[in-house]
Amino acid sequence: MLYASQLLGKKVYQDNKVYGKLIDMAIVENRPNPPVSKIEIKHNKKKVTISPLALSLKNGRLTITTQHIPQLPYDHKDFYLGEDLLDKQVIDTDGKRLVRVNDVLLETDENGKFLVAGIDVGFDGVLRRLGLPFSMHKKILPWTTVEALDYDTGAVRLNVKEPALSTLHPSEIANILEDAGTKERVGIVSSLPANQAARAIEEADDETQVSILESVTPAIFKNIINKMHISEIADVFNELTPERAKELQDALGVERSGTIKRLSYFSDNVAGGLMREHFLSVKGNITIKELQKVFLELPNIPESIVITNDSEKLVGILQTKDILRFDTLARLSDIVTEKKFVYPQTSLREILRLFSQYNLRALPVIDKNKKPIGLLVIDDLLALIEEEKENNENI
Amino acid sequence: MKTYKRALSRLLPILVILGPGIISGSVDNDAGGITTYSLAGAQFGLKLIWILFLTTFCLDITQAVGARMGLVTGKGLGALIREKYAVKWAVFTMAVLLLANVGVAASEFAGIASALQIFHVSKFISVPLFAIIVYLFVIKGSFKKLEQFFLLASAFYLVYIVSAVLAHPNWTEAVKSLVIPTLSFKKDFIITAIAVIGTTITPWGQFFIQDYVVDKKLGKEDIHVERLDVFLGSWLTNFIAFFIMVACAATIFIYGQTINDAGDAAKALQPLAGQFASLLFAFGFLNAGIFGAALVPVSTSYVICNTLGFEHGLNFHFKEAPQFYGIFAFIIFVGALLTILPFIPLLTILFWAQVINAILLLPILVFVFLLSNDKKLLGKYCNGKIFNAVIIATFLIIAASTIAYIVSQFIG
Repeated sequence: MLYASQLLGKKVYQDNKVYGKLIDMAIVENRPNPPVSKIEIKHNKKKVTISPLALSLKNGRLTITTQHIPQLPYDHKDFYLGEDLLDKQVIDTDGKRLVRVNDVLLETDENGKFLVAGIDVGFDGVLRRLGLPFSMHKKILPWTTVEALDYDTGAVRLNVKEPALSTLHPSEIANILEDAGTKERVGIVSSLPANQAARAIEEADDETQVSILESVTPAIFKNIINKMHISEIADVFNELTPERAKELQDALGVERSGTIKRLSYFSDNVAGGLMREHFLSVKGNITIKELQKVFLELPNIPESIVITNDSEKLVGILQTKDILRFDTLARLSDIVTEKKFVYPQTSLREILRLFSQYNLRALPVIDKNKKPIGLLVIDDLLALIEEEKENNENI
Repeated sequence: MKTYKRALSRLLPILVILGPGIISGSVDNDAGGITTYSLAGAQFGLKLIWILFLTTFCLDITQAVGARMGLVTGKGLGALIREKYAVKWAVFTMAVLLLANVGVAASEFAGIASALQIFHVSKFISVPLFAIIVYLFVIKGSFKKLEQFFLLASAFYLVYIVSAVLAHPNWTEAVKSLVIPTLSFKKDFIITAIAVIGTTITPWGQFFIQDYVVDKKLGKEDIHVERLDVFLGSWLTNFIAFFIMVACAATIFIYGQTINDAGDAAKALQPLAGQFASLLFAFGFLNAGIFGAALVPVSTSYVICNTLGFEHGLNFHFKEAPQFYGIFAFIIFVGALLTILPFIPLLTILFWAQVINAILLLPILVFVFLLSNDKKLLGKYCNGKIFNAVIIATFLIIAASTIAYIVSQFIG
């Protein structure tokens, strides 16, 4: 087992004399097991960059094998193990979280070339670098499951072809975003397709959402905001800077940004701020059979359907699974099961009471004219409760 | 203007109830803080008040720098040290922080014990009991609510203002002492000066302020409001510290009395509370002690685990984050243990923990200075000349006083 920490700072010999000290190693990124491409040596107080081919490791001793040392240009864009990887945070795409690089595991191929095999995230890595030869917690991640971040820009350094990051669930990316630093957060979001970035941001807590929406470039902001749900934007709208609010209006148009402003008027603790604006609403005089035709035109079938009368006033709601029990010719208004409703100003406490007392899955919100304007869904309430609980437990 | 309004609306809820600057400041007036300011006032009257005045600038600037680094990078101080100066220095600073904060925890327990001694409760009972209570409170209770409660109870410090006024001190003298330094090379004077600095600017506060703004996900847009919060926090705490010193100077010092245990410091409240002074003091001291004992160990463990890459946070179970709970319990245990050692008086712990904190602040200040001038990291948010000058001055003052104290030990 060879670790980067065992090579960094090690003396380099030439003709049995000390030539200098190895200070860093650059790698070629876009390979499954990237080989070391450059070696940086401190020689007479100067940095000398050489090819790894000129260096060999035998019996624990680094020796320059050629008389003439081929020098390579130093390029700050190169990815250096010491400078850019050690001690930094990387994304463990397998464990789906941010981890810190304690050490880098190297292996040598048949030609004696160094390859990066993985990163050490166990506490043993820390102990090794402190020169303490104990073993407490060993954990090595294979390099293929690691996404490194650029320390300067925060951008994700792509490993092999597609970033494995985009295979994660939006809520898993959201967790990573919550833990990451400002630059890294922006870098991660910028590297994702707009649609995925929008889903991930929606899953993150409000503070993280605001932080991201404020820091991304205007172009990316525009793309993401176009893919986000109106109600999610409304949650954080009041916390955006005036400049961002203006950009938002330009990107979404007057009508949609108007809706956002209206929604953001309600706080998070009343029905108006918690409800979904998009829901399926149908007239009660149609039959189940006709409803099924409506379903065919939808991308996905909602769990609950809001039923209205001819003058668009609320009759009640129907659970999609419940229609299985009825004849396909039955009229929806005849089989409505739930007739509970609330107003936009109803408090969260009251909403929760209704949900638990009547075992509801969804609850319509109506305006003064009894017209349904939104739908409260149990999933959203659970998410809210979870977030509040976490807020209480944070330090 | 609109930006301010928006940022204010975002921060106001935290600002009013618990801005990071205000919490960080309030903890400076913990049990060790009250003791140190009381001792300074009781022993030297108004002579050390200028140190407090200078320290206020230092506290304000160092806290502002910490907050700014957190706002810009979204990373805690430990994480920045680790990313820039590698794991050895990170472990070194964590060791410094742990050492300093075991001291602080011990002084908090000493505060609890001193307060309960006024009611004739032995420290051998009060300290273990409160160590367990604090541990359970933090783990089982809702930490946020607890924090708010203690912060509210910190309003107790206002009684010092009233008491100071009722003691009719010489105000002209007091204000003069703020700006005209009195120098003395007596070793008691020097060590008390170091303690005053050490109880005000702490390694704990430096890490706490930065991690707190990171946790709240505040960003560059909030920089002005956060600056205000830090400013208020720093000046408010030392405003109160000023009155503690004045109250002690106008009572204990004038009467030529001495403070032999923390309970004696209650005499400073006599102009206000008369015979109930001890009771009032005990209440405030107990609150300060519990607040500190709850906040310092858990936040220290949070920072250490964050820097070394362990799971951390109270939303994890013990099994998921054993290091986090382990370090938390360790700090409480050692802190409590030091307090009940029979041969160390409580007052010694309360006072010397502050001295140790001042000295351990030195390496932390070096990192704060280097990082806050790192162009690559902060870009245009690097320190200006005045900020740098204040950080360097803070460093030099502590270093010089420490050397002066060591020298005075030999000269006598």
